[in-house]
Amino acid sequence: MNREELYTIAENWFQENNWTPFKFQKDTWKAFLQGKNGLLNAPTGSGKTYALWFPIILNYIKSNSEYQTKHKKGLKAIWITPLRALSDEIRQSADRVSQDLGTQMTVGIRTGDTSTKERASQKKNMPDLLITTPESLQLLLATKGYAKIFKDCTAIVVDEWHELLGTKRGVQMELALSRLKATSKKLRIWGISATIGNLDQAREVLLGTESKALENSVLIKAKLNKKITVKSVIPKKMETFPWRGHLGLHLLEDIIPIINTSKTTLLFTNTRSQCEIWFQKILESHPEFAGEIAMHHGSINKETRLWVEQAIRNSSLKAVVCTSSLDLGVDFAPVETVIQIGGPKGVARFLQRAGRSGHRPGKESVIYFLPTHAIELIEASALQQAVKHTVVEDRMPYLSSYDVLLQYLTTLAISDGFYPNEIYDEVVKTFCYQALTKEEWQWLLNFVVMGSQSLQTYDEYKKVEIEEDGKFKVNNRGIAMRHRFQIGTIVGDANLTVKYQKGGYIGSIEEFFVSKLSPGDIFTFAGRNLEFIRIKDMQVHVRNSNKKTNKVPSWMGGRLTFSAQMSDLLREELYKASANKKLSPELKALKPIFDRQQKESIVPKPNEFLIETFKSRDGYHHIFYPFEGRFVHEAMGSLLGYRISLLAPITFSLAFNDYGFELLSDKEIDMQQVLDNNLFSTDYMLSDLQKSLNATEMARRKFRDIAVISGLVFTGYPNKNIKMKHLQSNSQLLFDVFRDYEADNLLFKQAFTETFEHQLEEGRLRLALERIEKQDIIWKSCSKPTPFSFPIITDRLREKLSSEKLADRIKRMTAILMKK
Amino acid sequence: MTETIRIENNTFIMHCYGALFWKEKSFLIISDVHLGKVSHFRKHGAAVPQSAIHKNFELLSDVIDYFKPDHVCFLGDLFHSSINNEWQLFENWVATINSQILLVIGNHDIISPVKYEALHIKLASEIIIDNFLFTHHPEEREKFYNFSGHIHPAIKLKGSGRQILKLACFFCSKTQMILPAFGEFTGTYTLQPTKEHQVFVIAKDEIFKVNLSE
Repeated sequence: MNREELYTIAENWFQENNWTPFKFQKDTWKAFLQGKNGLLNAPTGSGKTYALWFPIILNYIKSNSEYQTKHKKGLKAIWITPLRALSDEIRQSADRVSQDLGTQMTVGIRTGDTSTKERASQKKNMPDLLITTPESLQLLLATKGYAKIFKDCTAIVVDEWHELLGTKRGVQMELALSRLKATSKKLRIWGISATIGNLDQAREVLLGTESKALENSVLIKAKLNKKITVKSVIPKKMETFPWRGHLGLHLLEDIIPIINTSKTTLLFTNTRSQCEIWFQKILESHPEFAGEIAMHHGSINKETRLWVEQAIRNSSLKAVVCTSSLDLGVDFAPVETVIQIGGPKGVARFLQRAGRSGHRPGKESVIYFLPTHAIELIEASALQQAVKHTVVEDRMPYLSSYDVLLQYLTTLAISDGFYPNEIYDEVVKTFCYQALTKEEWQWLLNFVVMGSQSLQTYDEYKKVEIEEDGKFKVNNRGIAMRHRFQIGTIVGDANLTVKYQKGGYIGSIEEFFVSKLSPGDIFTFAGRNLEFIRIKDMQVHVRNSNKKTNKVPSWMGGRLTFSAQMSDLLREELYKASANKKLSPELKALKPIFDRQQKESIVPKPNEFLIETFKSRDGYHHIFYPFEGRFVHEAMGSLLGYRISLLAPITFSLAFNDYGFELLSDKEIDMQQVLDNNLFSTDYMLSDLQKSLNATEMARRKFRDIAVISGLVFTGYPNKNIKMKHLQSNSQLLFDVFRDYEADNLLFKQAFTETFEHQLEEGRLRLALERIEKQDIIWKSCSKPTPFSFPIITDRLREKLSSEKLADRIKRMTAILMKK
Repeated sequence: MTETIRIENNTFIMHCYGALFWKEKSFLIISDVHLGKVSHFRKHGAAVPQSAIHKNFELLSDVIDYFKPDHVCFLGDLFHSSINNEWQLFENWVATINSQILLVIGNHDIISPVKYEALHIKLASEIIIDNFLFTHHPEEREKFYNFSGHIHPAIKLKGSGRQILKLACFFCSKTQMILPAFGEFTGTYTLQPTKEHQVFVIAKDEIFKVNLSE
């Protein structure tokens, strides 16, 4: 069959369904059938699935003219989705096309939810189309004889690539693709991404730097003009609206009419705990919604989530309170309205969420922004501008992630083993490892074989062994088993399963939260009040309770930062406020706050950099306002704190938000000295920043993931009653051991590089400092906290920095007695 | 470097490495060394730095040199898990020690008593000398003052300017003292004191009595 005949098959199918294919769909079909790789830039709900399933099936039809009667077995295509919750939706559309075209092709799902039985039968007989996650794909690479499974695979599609890019799961994907390029000779690689700032780079990361795959590739953009309207929920009485907070419950009543007048409303919250609280509070004050509203977040069990998703499609729910768990995939046509509670911190995310409403092509998307505290209204105003000018941020890919590479090498070693030269050539062609040197490679090989760089007689390190012909292989079953469990934990936090004592899975929860509970304590989870009974075998046993509680599990990762673009817009809005010109309704509403700020301090103008100092019960507050986003403030705060600590021994606790940062101390900083010594200078910025890193704990925290991914810390068998054999430790302890005994370890060093590149954003810091150098520094010595300072000084999550002797500090400190 | 405390008319000296010396009896008490832990991890594929292994033996020798005790008493969890090559290093180390070594068996001590006895180490489930009771797990027993380990105690200190520090400590009450874990790579558990407690924190090579406040 020639290409035209194949297109006809596809177009007929569209016609039968009363649809017309979009240009981007046809372009993708053509490119795919020409054998090209590519990146498709298309939003959720645009028909992107059909853009790639069709050519995959058409390609099969082309190679098998008797496709309707004779089925050629074997894996033909892999569809990668970052969220396993999405796999069912993808399967349905794939099934539909393959059946309608009478191809006899089979579609299967393989994720963490797939039963062992199903997985075993898949291994014997792979479905033609396999839908899976990056982790499950790695697990396939950990299977004996994997090369045979992938031999005739013609396509791999990485869906929601923007979500993976900039994460270590993305690196996992890069490595898997580097291997598949070798095992599957006819492979085409395609990514699907929502709009991000660096689409070209996204394509390069997917296909490999300077690779043949990249040469033979295209970037296809779906041009769907969709109108997005942003409306802010503005508090009626600004005088009583709080200056700080992150819940936003003050405006709960204002959203009730919105919910009532719309078919289905999604309420996006930034954290799972916020999601739980909103769900509870809406029901408390409006019991009439019982049964009509639901909750959806990543820790709730799969059945409940699927039920909620189905209920959205049936329009049987008025509203769903959710987190980013509903950001992706899943086409929810009935959603008319979206409410964003609290700052989304990124324009791309905000746009994506807005796109969840009016999901049919041509329909208008409406999103409401609900501020959780007064200053966030400035953010609301900036978001309006961002949407108007479609300002979207970049997703920054990782470079040289040794931890992921170590994990990958062990993965290959437990399946069929690997020969280093062959794998090295593949690995250095990926984006992430393009700068990997031969020396670093040798270091990594030594690490997996000897656990260090030299062999010592008494040592019993055991992981990967080198066989006679030079093949690297794991022969120990225990090591192989532990490694397989570890693969899934790349985003890992120690998660415990929450179950009723009598059985019945409710969800998963972070160990960190549970460790603070005592038996009998009541907490809210998955919309229920639960009594904590005990922890047993990585399971939290609970029973229902009628008692009220204010304990809600907190999940890490709730803290996001402004992108550079968003920070620019934010500053512009602020300058408008200081000039009192062209005020948006949000800024007008903020007038009482600005007046107060002006009275206690100032509202900075474009040429002004504001510093405020005041004393409170907590100590001496020194607050700086660069308005550059949390990460830049974290870097600048550490840098400045470090430089000040060189002037005289001092100890700081540092707090940051998207507007500024605080250095809090029990001593007063001589601010004049700070200004006289030009401590905002960009001179020696890099080395000072590096030294400040040693003085704070940021790298220590980064090390946590690295230790888990590289297999240094074993997180345990999920839901399995297997004894840990004294193998539990924590990454903090390990960090100290490395610092004291093996500071040149690449994994230890990686913690610092990662902090540098992904957290501190050195480049942005330099630009910010250069900007400040040109500004007039306005130092205001205030008598009490100002409206701008309030959200910062009340932040509890803090970084430490000290240049004092430990002994001197202890003398001024006390232990807090147990409350009886 | 040390801090002295009087208990029931006896003198006890706390050393910043986490050891406790009973002066009258020339009796050195050390808890939770967890030897073999690093090797145990390495044997199972977790590459904890090897050099940490030697540090434990160095610290032990240093503190024994300092007090030159007649007896060295380990309050349990001397070895982290089943036997591995670190046992050989331990044997070599024992040969260099002139003091009599005793071991109160802890929950981690699963290595056969025969192996210890071959090194002339005396084993016991608890030791009583005068009014003092030595156990691995903390215990309240009438008429006895108890010394124990097991917990790996630490304490949280707070100061002005939202300063927080967590440090390993000797945790004492009127009836018992819990020793800090001596070993490298062992971790801590934070305890909260009441007014009746006395707490001594270890800060690198110094030791301090902590101020308690409401």
